[in-house]
Amino acid sequence: MFEKIKLEDLSKENILAYGEFYKGELNSSSLEILSPLKEIAQTLNKKLILVSLIGSLENIKDWEEIKKSLADEVWFVINEELKDFREDLYTEVLVKIVKFSQPYGFFFPATKIGMSLAPRVAGALQVGLCAHVNNLEVKDNQIIMARPTYGENIIAKLISKSIPIMATISLGAFGIKYGEKEPSIKEIIFPEDFVWKSKLKIRRFAPSKKKPTKLSTAKVIVAGGRGLKNKETFQKLFELANLLGAEVGATRPVCYEGWVEEERMIGISGVTVRPKVYIGFGISGALQHTVGMENSEFIIAVNTDKEAPLVKIANLALIGDAGKILELLLKNLSK
Amino acid sequence: MMLKYPFTEEQNTLIDLVTQIGEEYIKPYALKWDEEETYDERPIKALADADLFGIIIPQEYGGLGWGSFEMCLAVEKLSYYCAGITTIYAASFLGSYPIILFGNEEQKKKYLPEIAKGKKICAFSLTEPQAGSDAFAIKTIAKKEKDYYILNGMKHFITNGGIADIYIVIAMTDPAKGARGASAFIVEKNDPGFSVGKKEKKLGLRASVTTELFFNDCKIPKDRLLGKEGMGFIIALKTLDFGRCGVGAQALGIAQAAMEVSLKHATSRIQFGQPIYNFQAVSHTFAEMAIKIEAARALVYNATKYIDSGAKDISGISSIVKCFASDVAMWVTERAIQMMGGFGYMRDYPVQKYFRDAKCLQIYEGTNEIQRNIIARELIKYYK
Amino acid sequence: MEKIIVCIKGVPKPGSIKVDPETHTLKRENMELILNPNDRPALEMALRLKNTYNTEVVVISMGPPNVIPLLKYIYALGADQIILLSDRAFAGSDTLATSYVLAKAIEKLSPFSLVLMGLKSIDGETAQVPPETASLLGIPSLTNVKDLFMERGKWIAIREMDYGEEEIEVTPPIVASVSPLAFDYIRPPSLKRLLEVKTKEPLICQVKDLNLDPQRLGLQGSPTQVIEVFEKKIETKGLVLEGSPEELVEKLIEILKDKGLIKF
Repeated sequence: MFEKIKLEDLSKENILAYGEFYKGELNSSSLEILSPLKEIAQTLNKKLILVSLIGSLENIKDWEEIKKSLADEVWFVINEELKDFREDLYTEVLVKIVKFSQPYGFFFPATKIGMSLAPRVAGALQVGLCAHVNNLEVKDNQIIMARPTYGENIIAKLISKSIPIMATISLGAFGIKYGEKEPSIKEIIFPEDFVWKSKLKIRRFAPSKKKPTKLSTAKVIVAGGRGLKNKETFQKLFELANLLGAEVGATRPVCYEGWVEEERMIGISGVTVRPKVYIGFGISGALQHTVGMENSEFIIAVNTDKEAPLVKIANLALIGDAGKILELLLKNLSK
Repeated sequence: MMLKYPFTEEQNTLIDLVTQIGEEYIKPYALKWDEEETYDERPIKALADADLFGIIIPQEYGGLGWGSFEMCLAVEKLSYYCAGITTIYAASFLGSYPIILFGNEEQKKKYLPEIAKGKKICAFSLTEPQAGSDAFAIKTIAKKEKDYYILNGMKHFITNGGIADIYIVIAMTDPAKGARGASAFIVEKNDPGFSVGKKEKKLGLRASVTTELFFNDCKIPKDRLLGKEGMGFIIALKTLDFGRCGVGAQALGIAQAAMEVSLKHATSRIQFGQPIYNFQAVSHTFAEMAIKIEAARALVYNATKYIDSGAKDISGISSIVKCFASDVAMWVTERAIQMMGGFGYMRDYPVQKYFRDAKCLQIYEGTNEIQRNIIARELIKYYK
Repeated sequence: MEKIIVCIKGVPKPGSIKVDPETHTLKRENMELILNPNDRPALEMALRLKNTYNTEVVVISMGPPNVIPLLKYIYALGADQIILLSDRAFAGSDTLATSYVLAKAIEKLSPFSLVLMGLKSIDGETAQVPPETASLLGIPSLTNVKDLFMERGKWIAIREMDYGEEEIEVTPPIVASVSPLAFDYIRPPSLKRLLEVKTKEPLICQVKDLNLDPQRLGLQGSPTQVIEVFEKKIETKGLVLEGSPEELVEKLIEILKDKGLIKF
């Protein structure tokens, strides 16, 4: 179907990105990491290659996404044994590819799979691995990676002295961009004597169901109070949450009004939260609410009342009608 | 605490551990348990895993071999977080005292190690529907038949009913002898003819469980008798003498928590342009709270040290402790609500829970009226 | 079953870390150490397995000697033996150098059936050390494990992945990182053991005890290096803005971009 290539013929000193597949679908996080890597690759005058391990070609669903991607090349390793993710076998396959293609960099999305796989690969190669990188730049021909650390208040800038430079890249840190040129797709042919064997046997798999609210651990929270005036306006918070990667929180009265389920209540009888950014729409900030969110890193209050307690503790307060501002914000963001 | 007590290193270790359990296993859930009136076994499991059920159990039976003082330290600190959970804990001590004080070697060997590990929870069962303050009016009968006793009757308002594994049951072996015709028995939860009745719906202490107990031809081996036949009320009264300081310690924890919560409110609540604590009507109320709490604490600590010194005449002082400290807790919790105004009345804040919890301390393990009877009776022994 | 090894870490108490604005290094003087909270579930899993299979639990920690009080606390939780890997040469180790030391120490403790670690530390938050250590030991690793038990001499692990829950069979020994949500009850320390620990000291191992290659230790053995740290500043404390909804939304979008919540 497309070009088959032997390990020893792989082009060298490229930048590799791990393309995570699940049931024939390419995880969007693998497309996200291509955005910063493309810039890096261009600056360093290197090719960007997406490397994917899959069970078979048949059930790949999103060829379009792959073809539109920023990668210069896509390398597939196809074997029935690669149908499920098993870190030991996956590591061996990737280590072989690295040994033959001697990449300059190898990057993984910080998914659960990426975080299980990258350290094994780095360990086997005995090279450095940076974690949860959310910014990449090239300075004096060197890749500099930044990541939040020590409870996220502190940013560290890191370099890696070993080649390939390896890192897992934070989820959601970069948006997906598309390329102009369709990548060339190759299938890597492994030697006959390669043993496709894992010590792990998957006995059962239960796909995850509905996601529970992650309010208490959310990094961003958009919360609403009575100032949003009705359930319909309140529900718009979910649209905003989607755009910002946030969770929706609520005050007590709003939950009791039935605008939203009680699991989303923040405060004394609800959840305590400490997100990096908290935005309160139409929340005056009664004590029972504020004790549950006062430790948020950055508080934004949107309220008509300049004297409202939440306005007083906010880092930024916007004095105006919360519902109107929410609707306008959504309109501007979806532009 | 304004008055700092010189605790030993071991006592400090105990206090730190109880505080850790309170913060981690109780504080986040206390209002929820109260609201839903549910029993959660996790804090009890934590207390068990931490060896805290073994405080008063002698070392040779796997306990720590400590005294009333340490027991009260644990109860006080725990009660600061939730008096309901503390009730389960302290009531289990009440059920283990009869075995410690009156059990024979076999009984101690059989029960105390598991009690110390927290694998078995105890309950003390005296009260019956017609026998409250008038404990001598109990009607549960224990009839001896060969190698067994057959129990018939019922108990009510029994703390830890249903969750306990071991029940100390006071029953009449010879009703004709009146008070001298009662005996104390160890009943295990799986004994034939023993069953647990309905769970009571309570004003406070709602994280704890209170039920009826039924004995329908409940057949237990004769070696479950504690002490001798006829000693039932002596065992019961002695147990209560030891247990009452625990109620005093519980009162300290509640009062301390109520004062702290309301004080935080009073110093941060702005009315008329300033914190309400600036108003003398408010600050003097807190001064009064501090006076009462420190006095109650001094009383609890000194009385338990007196008990631990091996004193025999402890009825009067333990009644004084229970009576005074629980009255203090009631007063402080009521004032704490008042100091918080409308906030205090709302169930989102814990002070109303403290208030409801405190009320029971004036009632259980002998009402404060009965305590005053005891104190008055004991008093004239000292001044005859 | 052979012994279970648990690797734990002392981490700075959240909020006790500050950056020196002059030197751009971490100020460690006032740092208070706590047990990495994510290590509690790993210890709990080990202690439950100890109860079920009657095996020994050995705890290893790598760090400076000021972690010793924490190790005593671990002993009070029920560990049988505690080993502290402490040497000036370890200072500045990244995950590779750390995994190397741990792997060497674990190797020395052979035979073992299982190595447990917390999913990640709350300071470094890399989650790399468990798989990396396994990789260096050449044994399988599983991350995010919720439950673990033995069946006919094999480990059966339940683990949480992005797409769902897997049940995996694997021959021991393995390294597993434990999900922070694995248990709804985690035991507190025992009072009796807390009173005993005053006389207990961990076994301290240094470079010379472990046959380590000095080239692979500390800063020298760490390919990844921090070249700069800086603290994020809160910019607009207490800014109150009035204006038309359009102006306010514009400001809001600006802030959201600044916070990295909107990407364009």
